[in-house]
Amino acid sequence: MKLKLGMLCLSLLAAGFLLGQSITISGKVSSKSSGDPLAGANITVKGGSTTVATDAKGSFTMSVPGPGSVLVISYVGMKTLEFTVVNTNSPLLIQLEDAAASTGQEVIVVGYGTQRVTKVSGAISTIKSADIEKLRPVRAEEALQGVLPGVNVIQSGSPGSKPTVLIRGIPSFSGTDPVVVIDGVPQTLTDLNSLNAADIESINVLKDAATTAIYGVKGGNGVIVVTTRTGRKNQKTEIGINSSYGIQEVMNTVGVLNASEYGAMINEGSTVAGGNAIFPNLSLLGVGTNWQNEVFKTASVQTHNISARGGSEKMNYFLSGGFLSQGGIVGGNDKSVFSRANLTANLNFDLSNKVRLIINTTGVRLDGKGLQENSFNSVLGSALNFDPTVPVLNNAAGTPGKYGFSNLLLSEVFNPLTKLDNTFNKNVGTKIYGKFELQYDVLSNLKLTSRFGYTKYDGNSRSFTPLVFYGPSNVDNSLNADGSTVAGKHNSVAHEKASNFNFTWESFANYNFKIKDDHHFETVLGFSVAKISGNAAGATRQDVPFNSWEFADFTAATGNNNATNSNALGGYYYQYFRRNLSFFGRVNYDYKDRYLASFTARRDGSYAFGVDNKYANFFSGSAGWVVSREKFFKSDFIDHLKIRGSYGSIGNENVDPQYVGIVTGGPSYGSTANSNGYSFNDVFFPGSTVGSAANEALRWEKQLQVNAGFDMTFFKRRFSLTADYFQKKVDGLLFTPSASLYLGTVPIPTANIGSTKSSGIDLTLGYNQTIGKSFKLNTSFTFTTAKNEVTATNSDGTAKILGGYYFNGQSQSVTVFEKGQTPGYFLGYKTMGLFQNAAEIAAAPVQTGAVPGDIRFVDVNGDGVISAADQTKIGDPFPDFTIGWNLGLEFKNFDFTAFTYASVGNDVYSAWERNANYSNKYRAILARWTGENTTNDSRYPRYSFTDANSNIRVSDRYVEDGSFIKIKNLQLGYTFPAKMTKNVFSRLRFYVQVKNAITLTKYSGFDPEIAGGILDSGIDRGAYPQARTYSVGLDIKL
Amino acid sequence: MKKLIIATLGLALTATFFSSCKKWVDYNPHEDYRITDLDYLKSESHYRTMAVSVYTPLQWLNQAVPVGDIASDNAVSGGENASDVLSLQQIDDYTLTPVNSTLTELWQAAYEGINRANYMHQYKQTNKAGETINFAGKDALYGEIYFLRAYYYFHLVRFFGDVPLFTDKRLGLSESQSLQRAPKADVYKQIETDLTAAIATLPAVQVEKGRITKYAAQALLGKVYLYQSKFDAAATVLESVITSNAFSLVSNFSGMYLATGENGPESVFEIQYSNTSPYYNWGGVTRGQGNLSVQQCGIRGLNGSAAMPYSAGWSTNLPTANLANAYAAGDQRKAATILDIEAYKTANPSFGITYQVAPFKNTGLYNQKYLPRKGETSGQVELNYLNNFRTIRYAEVLLMAAEAFNRSTSPNDTKAQGYLNQVRQRAFSDNLHNITATGATLKQAIWDERRLELAMEGDRFFDLVRTGQAAAKITGFQSGKMNYSRFPSRK
Repeated sequence: MKLKLGMLCLSLLAAGFLLGQSITISGKVSSKSSGDPLAGANITVKGGSTTVATDAKGSFTMSVPGPGSVLVISYVGMKTLEFTVVNTNSPLLIQLEDAAASTGQEVIVVGYGTQRVTKVSGAISTIKSADIEKLRPVRAEEALQGVLPGVNVIQSGSPGSKPTVLIRGIPSFSGTDPVVVIDGVPQTLTDLNSLNAADIESINVLKDAATTAIYGVKGGNGVIVVTTRTGRKNQKTEIGINSSYGIQEVMNTVGVLNASEYGAMINEGSTVAGGNAIFPNLSLLGVGTNWQNEVFKTASVQTHNISARGGSEKMNYFLSGGFLSQGGIVGGNDKSVFSRANLTANLNFDLSNKVRLIINTTGVRLDGKGLQENSFNSVLGSALNFDPTVPVLNNAAGTPGKYGFSNLLLSEVFNPLTKLDNTFNKNVGTKIYGKFELQYDVLSNLKLTSRFGYTKYDGNSRSFTPLVFYGPSNVDNSLNADGSTVAGKHNSVAHEKASNFNFTWESFANYNFKIKDDHHFETVLGFSVAKISGNAAGATRQDVPFNSWEFADFTAATGNNNATNSNALGGYYYQYFRRNLSFFGRVNYDYKDRYLASFTARRDGSYAFGVDNKYANFFSGSAGWVVSREKFFKSDFIDHLKIRGSYGSIGNENVDPQYVGIVTGGPSYGSTANSNGYSFNDVFFPGSTVGSAANEALRWEKQLQVNAGFDMTFFKRRFSLTADYFQKKVDGLLFTPSASLYLGTVPIPTANIGSTKSSGIDLTLGYNQTIGKSFKLNTSFTFTTAKNEVTATNSDGTAKILGGYYFNGQSQSVTVFEKGQTPGYFLGYKTMGLFQNAAEIAAAPVQTGAVPGDIRFVDVNGDGVISAADQTKIGDPFPDFTIGWNLGLEFKNFDFTAFTYASVGNDVYSAWERNANYSNKYRAILARWTGENTTNDSRYPRYSFTDANSNIRVSDRYVEDGSFIKIKNLQLGYTFPAKMTKNVFSRLRFYVQVKNAITLTKYSGFDPEIAGGILDSGIDRGAYPQARTYSVGLDIKL
Repeated sequence: MKKLIIATLGLALTATFFSSCKKWVDYNPHEDYRITDLDYLKSESHYRTMAVSVYTPLQWLNQAVPVGDIASDNAVSGGENASDVLSLQQIDDYTLTPVNSTLTELWQAAYEGINRANYMHQYKQTNKAGETINFAGKDALYGEIYFLRAYYYFHLVRFFGDVPLFTDKRLGLSESQSLQRAPKADVYKQIETDLTAAIATLPAVQVEKGRITKYAAQALLGKVYLYQSKFDAAATVLESVITSNAFSLVSNFSGMYLATGENGPESVFEIQYSNTSPYYNWGGVTRGQGNLSVQQCGIRGLNGSAAMPYSAGWSTNLPTANLANAYAAGDQRKAATILDIEAYKTANPSFGITYQVAPFKNTGLYNQKYLPRKGETSGQVELNYLNNFRTIRYAEVLLMAAEAFNRSTSPNDTKAQGYLNQVRQRAFSDNLHNITATGATLKQAIWDERRLELAMEGDRFFDLVRTGQAAAKITGFQSGKMNYSRFPSRK
């Protein structure tokens, strides 16, 4: 009966709609949360063509067919509302909810389509522009750190450098970078350096097989889907300006010895070894020079953006221009800088009512200067290791060079200021990327899309290696003490022009239909053709006039090759490409938004694989159940509950095609230095040999991933909780086999051997509440953990890859990728205190060279001898888990954001000390062993110039707990009240911000957050620390 | 009609698209301008160019020379500290483990040489594409290749004893882990076969100095016979080198080790290095054209006036006092073999020498034969010293012949004394130090002479092992540890 009555009402309404005359209504649109009027909100009559926008006060007037008309009100960042006009006499008061607070209607971008959040049954994490804006990141990845569960970002302090990004652990050896898709166009993680964070509408990270399988062979490391801003139809032009300026400084310095302490230690090292005191009079030394204070400078960081968006009936646009410049705290803006200027135009045209053309274009200019990093003799490494008794300025009359030199350190480690002063390089890149996309609505539920996405990059770099005097009798001098050139040395200039062009052409059809009203299907079917290509050419030339950067140019340099110098003038060229071809399809299904399912298939072909393995198929499926929509589900506590699960396969193709190649020439700089050629009586003869081998059976690396999780909101929607458990198994790992050494030095081709396993939990807990009218609180925690294990390599498990190389007097490697262990773990000796006396040494397992005061190593295998076989796991550079905590407070016109990030269980291997006799040392050496029972701490053995025990070998002596808590972002903003600014601005906000405000860690070096992929993360060779930044900024909307 | 056209057109496009798909993911190395094995060995020039690279791994065996002395009583490892050049420290101290980077390198480099020689052997008759390329001098060229293969196997058998033996082709990944070690005797047999083949085709003189000659092959074959105690055969083949009168002893012993003394009248076989192709790769320190071991031998932190001839180095491979004391007074070889830095500094005050005392295992003595000299390197200075290794000198041919005649089934000690005394007369510049002993005493005298003559040239350790003197002469010597050294861990 009720139903019938309802039907009657509906038909009456419909009749009114059809028969009624148009009437004029007026009203006001405001934000439900703040109460502020919303200027520029779009109002359309559903089913009609009239659209109006609200004025600065949020008011509007329009005609509608009559009572019962449905208005659709939309505003950026707000949930779109449908409002039925009932009373036409009084002004309508319409309030919009913040989009972030809504859960039902949000649409997120997935591969080749969009999906309503409610219908998603895979694992996706999302960050929106509002949250990205708060952080003001230099690179977009920075905004993901700690905010998106399941994504682990390890940043470097070097301006503009690429961080290590791990989505759900380390499943593969051959690269961990996720795929980046910007507005549907595949790009790489490296390309995120050219994306202006202010242009981003949202970033979705696709994590499980169900969501990544549509990217098939490239999806194995997860997918980062970036959507940039667009305009809207009939949107009044909205202009945004924001600008910030900040000062960066180093957070802390490392405690090395001052000059007096250094002199005393050097004397001790020498005398213990049986030599003379090097500094007979220590009292002359004083504190000397603190080289770290000399190389660290304050550097600026600034961003300025202006954007406009809007639209008419037939087209809409988003235009933006941005500039960012970040100086480096090592050496300051002069020597180390990253700057980026962007111009973006995202344009949508309705060519007809069925055909749309979308053109997104971004032009970027990237400028940079860099300096040597990440080694004991980099600028920073030199600052740590250089002789503190040397004065800053050169006071030796008549010698060249501005800065002082050491008479003790005669090679490798130089005055860091001399190094800095003689660093000259410049890199300029221009890039244009974007897409042309044509959409054709064949039917209302069938859409064809064809998209051509491209990236074009041109880089031009130049560097200059001057002639330098490092001090008398320094072996690396190219200038003599009298300013003349060392025989056979030359300065040189190097140029390189590199360019690449990548495109993807994808065409697909989206067809949505329903069966019997409640069975909804969304399908997509398409193909993708991709090509990456690039080339580079370079030239080098010696003898730059006046030994000066000013003349550092190929044409100005005068070097020409001759019989005794074949390097005076040189050039090179190379090119590369990759090709892929793929077919894909997906079906999403839901029944009454309650039961969800999805099935994806992809067939991928790559040019890189053997003839029989060109193609592979990837399938995945997922299912979801919205429990809270069941009739039986009656809970006052839980508002929404969805349970999700997925399973599927994805891949990895990070390998080049293989063939048996013949190489002709001379020395090889390849991995195995498989050189050619020979000298007969000092005349060089080029030779040729087999330079590469092929593995015909090469195929994809296949990953199977299972995901289970749930989404829940509870306690009056104030809390939200999303949790996922995943497990990944990779088989046919692309890996370099360990082959018999009797095969020689032709590089062993990559093969599909081995497997890995990763599992972990991603979790987000959010809470938001409005207290009273003017106080709003929102806070969220994320938790990310992943456990990785290499479960197999080659048949006997002996294949392993070493990494984390460093030099402390001998070439050492720390990290290993091998069977039975977590990828990139630290391998070395375990220590157990110090030998206090000869009796202890005699009683201990045989340890060659040990004397009292030396480190006692653990005989792990119990064979009575300390040998290489006793090396064992001494650390893991990757965190056990990471936590992000975001806190947002709003009170009246003030807003406050605090973001804290914690990484727990990541070890750091401290590898910045050169350990040469005369290099400076970490000040903990003051607590060294000086006699029986003075200390038993393995970190502080006796100090001597001769180290027969090899106390400096790779051991847990150098492993430190790098766990940290960083307050990454503190921001306090004030928005000027609308009544003050309404005539000029629709919004004016001022803020102050501190990035990396506080770091809490036990680590003794600069910064325990050290990026470097699988095999170099956590190795501190004097890594570039992240800066603390104080900045002020303005956000303006016109 | 319009629809039909569109449909047909669409179908045609689709068909074209799918047929071009297959091509899209195909790959031909020529697209990357790469030359493959199918494109190569198609001309005389290809054969000759490829043969040059069979020589290349000779240079990579660089560390065999320092090891030959460090492992013996001639020298200690030295270096900056106990962690520096760890692999050499372990060899010096007889604390070897199956993981020793120096021995691994010496194993792998020699096998690369063998694989390169095998590849050329494999395509001697027809190339990979099935064509036959004939040219004048092809057999002589293969003589060089077979000599080199023999040299690489001799290197392996001296270091490692039983080793995997293969001669038919370059091995690929599928043959990994599949070979067992062949008995030493089989390896020697193959070496003899290759050298005999080489002798048959090699010329007596090569225009390009450093290329293998017939005499080099005969001298090496003589040495190989000595290692197998085949003294009669050794005597015959060595005698033919001597009677050829192609070589003579250089009167100024020390001059022979200068750049100007390279490939001189005493040189039978020299491994060539040069500084004319500067090299910069710290990732493969022995893989350029320079001689790394020269840099190793240098005096640490050495500095002085422009007239002082030496450059600084890494104080590695330091001669022992034991070696220095083995030279009798008046032997010009002592000063040519060993530099006593303090004595040199005192003797040459005008040089204003300063240097850092060798920080580890200091003996105060340095390897004068291969000391780094100013102006003899280029590029990355540590990696580009031009000094050739005097691998087989005529003096050694004489000493080997002396030993062969002394130890023949019908000994000829007169001949043996004669050859030995030629070497001693050069050393002392007189006849007063001639040896007149016979039999076992003469044999010992020849062995002792070998030490004095060949010191710091990388032969001592193998000589001691060959002659059964190792245990008596080397402190810490353990048979089976370095005596036919351990197998590198990854075969």
